[in-house]
Amino acid sequence: MATDFHNAMRAAGSLTAPGDRGEASDATPIKASARGIVLWYGETQALFDVSLDIPDRAVTALIGPSGSGKSSFLRTLNRMNEVMPGVRTSGRVEIDGEDIYAPSVDPVLVRARVGMVFQRPNPFPKSIYDNVAYGARLHGLAKGRDALDTLVADALHAAGLWSEVAHRLHTPALALTDAQQQRLVIARALALQPEIILMDEPSSALDPVATARIEELIDELAQKVCIVIVTHSMAQAARVSHKTAFFHEGRLIEAASTEEIFTNPRDARTHDFITGRFG
Amino acid sequence: MSDTTYSGPQPLGQTQVQTDFRANPHTVRAYGDELNQLTAEVTRLGGMVESQVADAVSSVARRDVALARAVIEGDVRIDDLQREIERRAIRLIALRQPVAADLRRTVAALKLSLSLERTGDMAKGIAKRALVLAEGEPMLPLTRSIERMGKLVLSRLKDVLDAYTTANLDQAMNVWAHDDDVDEHYDALFRELLTYMMGDPRTINGCAHLLFMAKNLERIGDHATNLAEIIHYELTGEDVLADRPRRLAQDAQS
Repeated sequence: MATDFHNAMRAAGSLTAPGDRGEASDATPIKASARGIVLWYGETQALFDVSLDIPDRAVTALIGPSGSGKSSFLRTLNRMNEVMPGVRTSGRVEIDGEDIYAPSVDPVLVRARVGMVFQRPNPFPKSIYDNVAYGARLHGLAKGRDALDTLVADALHAAGLWSEVAHRLHTPALALTDAQQQRLVIARALALQPEIILMDEPSSALDPVATARIEELIDELAQKVCIVIVTHSMAQAARVSHKTAFFHEGRLIEAASTEEIFTNPRDARTHDFITGRFG
Repeated sequence: MSDTTYSGPQPLGQTQVQTDFRANPHTVRAYGDELNQLTAEVTRLGGMVESQVADAVSSVARRDVALARAVIEGDVRIDDLQREIERRAIRLIALRQPVAADLRRTVAALKLSLSLERTGDMAKGIAKRALVLAEGEPMLPLTRSIERMGKLVLSRLKDVLDAYTTANLDQAMNVWAHDDDVDEHYDALFRELLTYMMGDPRTINGCAHLLFMAKNLERIGDHATNLAEIIHYELTGEDVLADRPRRLAQDAQS
């Protein structure tokens, strides 16, 4: 398998990303790896030679000040940057050892394997049911009404929303609270059975209780899938993630297990940022 | 015994470990002030403990009852300050959620203050026995040996506290690497006391007290080593990897 080969190469030291001091745990296989990512927005360079390994069934947090490139990097993992005009990317992103930027790869299928959750919940102006069923219908994931019902229910269960919406699946999604909407879009992502879920500040618009529920959900989901989260909250990165990568001015400064980063960061810039000494 | 020299912090990854985080100010100034206060209080506690040990040791050789009493009574101030440091550290953890070097500095303050408080107890123990000895016949050669050992232990304590105040890793590790000097002194004193007791059973009572004093001093020496290890953790984030020379010696004996 490509992944085994990849891990063997990594163990031999030939694939270790510079600045990346290894995984949350040696037992965790690598789900995705980025090598030498460079990204331009028109004339502005946003990422400089970023290389990072992302462990499977674990949460990787990307932290850094605004404009550090963490969200840009996140979007390279599902080719989301391509939909923006004037963006040029180079470097490799492999998922299970397969280059997702290869000419033969359909970006739509990449985005089905790599789901995304944004800062503001963005449900479609449709019913709760249709929001979750949307992607599954598009990709033909369920055959028949019963299969689709099951898929929707499973996704809502997994997102911890089922008990709150089971009795009103066909009411408008936009009538839900912000916190529920955020879990709804997570359910919508889960309905496609993604292997990786990217989250861009998923709880920055939520209150502390709703934030705690999202974090609990992230914890549960990480048992099965690979999660990459961009967060402005240092405390959230420390709470939810296994691995933390610190970005600064478009460069990956340091990546290591979250415990390492928060007890003994090696780079002075990482230290200054997480302890609140920046700027 | 293997030669234990410390060659300074090892370079890790692409960047050097930075040990002088204390000098770099916080964006939230009150937070930085609280951390600085914590360090200052530990330094103050260290100074108090150091003078308690010094006074306890001189009270033995000089048969100074008043000084010994002052040491015994002074211990309560050390306990109070230790509790105050503990309270401040817990408050800081609860309200500021320190991470990285700030967290290590806070945890180090907690651990150092506990170790120092116990060192203070040792000094009190020595002073109590000094009171008892002052009632008996003078045993000058022996109390001088205690005084010499006391000076040695005190210089280790002073060095390690200076290392803390100035965030000097090399100085702390120098204390750490030379903890066998005190042990050798203790072994010599132990043999000396045995010889006395065998030669004249009337000295047994006094010698037993001196033996406990020597043991207390030896433990103060261990605390100095422990303080050096905590300082190493605070400044580098790493445990002192190599085993202590003393432990190697013990293993060889057993």
